[in-house]
Amino acid sequence: MVSLEERLEKWRRLEEEAREIRRREADWKFIEGLPPKLRAALKYYVEVGDMYVASRIAGLTVEEFNELRKRAGIPNVS
Amino acid sequence: MSLSDFAIADTCFLIDWSYWSHRNVLFKLFRAVFVPEVVLREVKSERAVEWIAAMLASGQLALYTETSDVVGLATRIVERSRLVPGLRGVDLPEAICLAVGKLRGYVVLTENRGAIMAVDFLEELSGVVIWRALEVVKEAIRRGSITGDPRQVFKLYEEETKHRFSRAELEAVINELEGKAGEVEEAGGGGEGD
Amino acid sequence: MSLKERLEKWRRLEEEAREIRRREADWKFIEGLPPRQRAALKYYVETGDIRTSAKLAGLDLEDFRELMRKANVPVVT
Repeated sequence: MVSLEERLEKWRRLEEEAREIRRREADWKFIEGLPPKLRAALKYYVEVGDMYVASRIAGLTVEEFNELRKRAGIPNVS
Repeated sequence: MSLSDFAIADTCFLIDWSYWSHRNVLFKLFRAVFVPEVVLREVKSERAVEWIAAMLASGQLALYTETSDVVGLATRIVERSRLVPGLRGVDLPEAICLAVGKLRGYVVLTENRGAIMAVDFLEELSGVVIWRALEVVKEAIRRGSITGDPRQVFKLYEEETKHRFSRAELEAVINELEGKAGEVEEAGGGGEGD
Repeated sequence: MSLKERLEKWRRLEEEAREIRRREADWKFIEGLPPRQRAALKYYVETGDIRTSAKLAGLDLEDFRELMRKANVPVVT
């Protein structure tokens, strides 16, 4: 039976890997050129990968934010 | 009085608090501070949005999605606040925070006079704990999360945020802290800076 | 504390806050503003009601708070 610590560590590694991919692939020039809310929301999404919260920061629907994410070159990593 | 692990913050609190150089001391007092979606919609300045987004990413802030029971109570609070003569009306974003304070026991962080008065007058809000920046800074000093002369700490907050504390209440808080500082000195205690 | 005593307590606090707002405001700046923003700031100085003031100014809450900073009008609590 895998301990809680081991499970947390496994997910931490997966999250870190996903974060690295999002950071690497993002179009930072595009992101930095955006207004504050959209910029902050995309940066949040790169770090955390939570599209719902990111869409709330941006003031967009989830679908609208998803389109923005694609334009910013940030992959949805799962 | 035991403090809740959680707090919920309204727009008026966040947009002033985000200007303060010691703003992250908030997270030494609570496990997480919730931000209702209705409040997040109102925040748009670069300074506030970037700070909030960074703190959401680190888990120190958390998004609060309003549920129907919260909205229902909040709506009643808005209505009831307009029935008491002399009571300033409460608007929905503040009422949402008050409702969560009542239903979940979170400390409500607000600078809104209407919300503060409502807790004093409305039976349905009995037991709700409201903290303004005054109480947050006081608690941070009391716990040693901020060190230095309390007067200077509060003065810095006023200067950086363009917020003013009621003089009588500030004096009462400072007197209380200076009395407490005396006890700590006698016991040989100390605090760490932010 | 009775209802009357509580109302009196809040009335005194409101009066103190209003005095602070009146004293600290940059009236030269305020008088130079367009009519809506000027009226909204004057309303805020007198009442401390930020949401209604923002609506009067035709601004959202955070933009009105920034206008208050420029006009040196504090939030007093």
